[in-house]
Parts: sequence; C-alpha cells; structure tokens
Amino acid sequence: MEEIIARGAESIILKTERWNRIFVLKWRQSKPYLFRDIDSQLRKTRTSRECKMLSVARALGVSTPAVYAVDLDDYTILMDYIEGSQFKQIANSLPKNQLKKFCSEFGTSIALLHQGDVVHGDPTTSNVIIDSKSKLWLVDFGLSEMNATVEMKGVDLHLIHRALETTHWDLQECMLEATIKGYSDTIGEEAKDALARMEEIRERGRYH
Amino acid sequence: MVLFCLGLEGTAHSFGAGVVTDEGKVLSNEWDMLKPEQGGIHPREASRHHSDLGPKIILTAIEKAGINFSDINLIAFSRGPGLGPCLRTTATMARTLALKLDVPLVDVNHCVAHIEIGCLESEFNDPVTVYVSGGNSQVIAFAGGRFRTFGETLDIAIGNMLDVLGRELGMGFPAGPIIEKLANEGSNFHNLPYSVKGMDLSYSGMLTAAKKLFSEGVPIPDICFSVQETAFGMLAEIAERAIAHTKKQELLLTGGVARNNRLTEILKGVSERHSTKFHRVSPSLAGDQGAMIAWNGILQFKAGHTIGISNSHVLPKWRTDEQDILWRA
Repeated sequence: MEEIIARGAESIILKTERWNRIFVLKWRQSKPYLFRDIDSQLRKTRTSRECKMLSVARALGVSTPAVYAVDLDDYTILMDYIEGSQFKQIANSLPKNQLKKFCSEFGTSIALLHQGDVVHGDPTTSNVIIDSKSKLWLVDFGLSEMNATVEMKGVDLHLIHRALETTHWDLQECMLEATIKGYSDTIGEEAKDALARMEEIRERGRYH
Repeated sequence: MVLFCLGLEGTAHSFGAGVVTDEGKVLSNEWDMLKPEQGGIHPREASRHHSDLGPKIILTAIEKAGINFSDINLIAFSRGPGLGPCLRTTATMARTLALKLDVPLVDVNHCVAHIEIGCLESEFNDPVTVYVSGGNSQVIAFAGGRFRTFGETLDIAIGNMLDVLGRELGMGFPAGPIIEKLANEGSNFHNLPYSVKGMDLSYSGMLTAAKKLFSEGVPIPDICFSVQETAFGMLAEIAERAIAHTKKQELLLTGGVARNNRLTEILKGVSERHSTKFHRVSPSLAGDQGAMIAWNGILQFKAGHTIGISNSHVLPKWRTDEQDILWRA
C-alpha cells in the first residue's frame, strides 16, 4: 500500500506500510530539465544531508521524524509518519493564543538548532507539523547545514520572516512577534546578533 | 469610447514610450537602451540618455500609434522601483504631458507592470511569475490582494551577474546573449556553488567561482555553459517551490532575461512536472518598455486610481508587495 500524501517541489511524500507499521517514504525524483550532473548531485547530497540532519536536530532537542532506511541509488528516505497537519494549513483557523503558542514553539525549535550551530535552511510553516497531541515537529532538512555562522542564522530568520509575509500576510505581525519571542527567550542575549543580521539581510534586498 | 493611454518607462538603462488602448491593444511600443562603451550603467548618464532621447521616442510612439496628442486620455509612468535620476527624468516628462494635455496621471509599479503585460499577452489569470532582468530576479505570485515576492535573490540579480561575468570575460554589454550563444559550444561542466536558501537564492558565490575558473584557464564556452546550467537550475528550483507552495496553475516568464532560450526550456520543464501552463513573454514586451506601463495605467485608472502631480514623487525602492492591487480585488 502506497499513497501520495504530498507532492513537493523536489520530492514526493508517500505513506507506506512496512513491517506492519505506517511510514513516510520521501522520494527525490529526477528533474529531467536540469543538467544531469547537477540533478544527481542535488538528489544525492540532499538525501544524505537530510538523513544526517534529522538526527542532529533531534540530538539538539527538536522533534523530528526518525530515519529507518535510506537508499542513495533511488534517493529515498524511510522515516516516521507524523499524524497531523502542516502548521501552514491550520494557522488561520487557530485561536490567537494557540497560534502564538505554536509560533513561540516554532521559534524555540529554531533557537535550539541555532544554539547547536545548525540552520534549517527552509524554515517555512509548511515544514512544521502539528500532531494530534498538539506537539510540534520540524521536517524537511534537505537544505539544513551544520557549523552555521551568524550570517547563516540570519538567513534562516529572514526566511521565516519572508514565509510569514507571503503565506500568512494577515497574521504576519502577530506570528513574527511570537516566533521571535520564542527564539529570543531560548537563546537569551546572544539572539541579538542573529536578529540584527536578519534585519540587515532584509535591508540588503534591492527594495527595502 | 476607447481609452488611449501613453505609458512612459524609465527605471534604468532603457527609456520607452508606448500607447495601449483599454481593449488591451498595443498600438506602439518604442524604446532605446543605453549601451555604455565600457563598464556598467551610471545612473546620471542613463538619466541624461532619457532626457536626450525621451521626447523623440514619445513623438515616434504617438505617430506609430496613428493618433494625436489630443487623443490621449491618460498618462502612466514608472514611479519605481529603479534608479533615482532615471525615475525623476521620466516622471518629469509624464507630469509635464499630463498638465499640458490636461489628462489624469497614473503612477505604475514597474515590477507589477511586467506581470500584467505578461498576463495580457498570455491570457493568464493568476500565474507564478519568474521576473528576471538586469536588476531583478524575483518569483512573484498574487496572494491576499497584493503581488507578493515569494523568492528573490539575496544579493545580485541574474542579469547583473551575467553582465559582470561577461565584462570579466571580455564581452560587451549586454553580455547575456553572448553568454547564451557561447554556452551552446560548451561541453565540459564545472561545478559551481549552487545556492538556494528556502525560496531565495544567491549568485555572488557562483560569480566569484566562475571568475576563478576563467583565471585558471577554463575555456570560456565551458564557463558560460556551467554558469547557465547552474544559475538557471537555481531559478527553476525556486520557481518550482513557489508553484508547489501556492498550487497555482500558470507559470509566466518575463523580464529581459526571458529572452534566453535555455532558461525558457528549463522553466518549461518545471511547468511540465507540475502540469501548469507556461508562457514566455515575447521579447518586445518582456524587456523594459512603455506598453506595459500604459497597460497597467489603464488597469489602475479603471479601478479608480490616479495620482495628483504634487504627490507623484518617485519611489526608487518601491517594493512589489507594497501596492494594493485594486483591479484584481
């Protein structure tokens, strides 16, 4: 039994059964329009990177699906299936205080990564899953990196800001504030550098 | 009664004037691009180019449209974003004409105009737009009453990157077409930094690495080939992310770099993967020109938007998402 549950930009997410249990199979398909060397390299590096970083993130205290198998010839990862919804899908229907709570937890998760010098690389609300027990999970670590500098952390925060303004335009102020609060409360004083860099990166854009 | 709108474009190195009717007919579209002998675009020289050639270009646009100045119902101008001196020169011409002809003035956002003229030509309603030019690399889509930038370059624009690289490789301006031609002769692919961050991308690292290849003696066609494949691959990825994210059914390619055939082929591949429609805006409407300003002027005017002369100061940093898109509400 295999069922497509999501079709992303670079992968297909399948729900699959193995050993009498439900798993997710993430499959990075070939993109025929890309030059073949770039295509195979991206698929390979992102698949292996995602496996590694899901574990690294978990060691830093962030909830991520566990990896059970990886196939670098087929570019697939078998991991935990998280029963829940994308934060993006439910943000609009949540009561304000609940929304703020999840944003704050999202900020905390990103902070935990940053404290370990890890960046997520694509921290949008599509990559945050809220499960049936209201627990927050981070997924999609294909663009994640270790040994992160202040610049890389600033970019990560800038991407959150951008995701909120494009996807949650009507709630963006409230969501950004709660996310940043969760981030700052976790990191403390040192959050200032990355937050200042976030502003700087935004200003660097052509029309700010 | 048919409305005639004269649109003036002058945000950067090109000055353009076009006449468009409210039925969406482009009656004329004249422009001239400043081509510096060496180096890049100097804002002051570009604005001088506009003031020197502007009046003649406007006259030709009116003549070619087969109308008189007295037939014009509306003046639209590119209010921003762009180079301050160029914007001011263009705005001055627009204000003068609006006063002299005693017709309403409409201020148009340059980036929005690129999208709307593309929608007019393609008959798309709600596309994901890849807008690539000398000064811009943005992936834009309509959401919540505005055109929102889902992804863009974190440093330099693709056209700028190609021009700077071209200068390094001894090519004239604009280098894009030369790079495209030489890339067809390249065969050895060299790895270059591929930098996608979420839905944003960055070209500066790739540019530095490409310059380094040149200093190491790698043949120019191979550099052009590797640069195109890498740079366009990154654009394709963020476009694909925007499509997956917004679930929109149309993909529009516009801006000066839309003339590149390899980029077009790659984005066509993206649209096939997601079963969306695809359109590349034709060259005469893809670059900076007045027809797009005129058409956008009509859309805005019909939605009840005009601007008083005293409020019509230029906005060099006017973001795409800062304008309420009344005509799509």
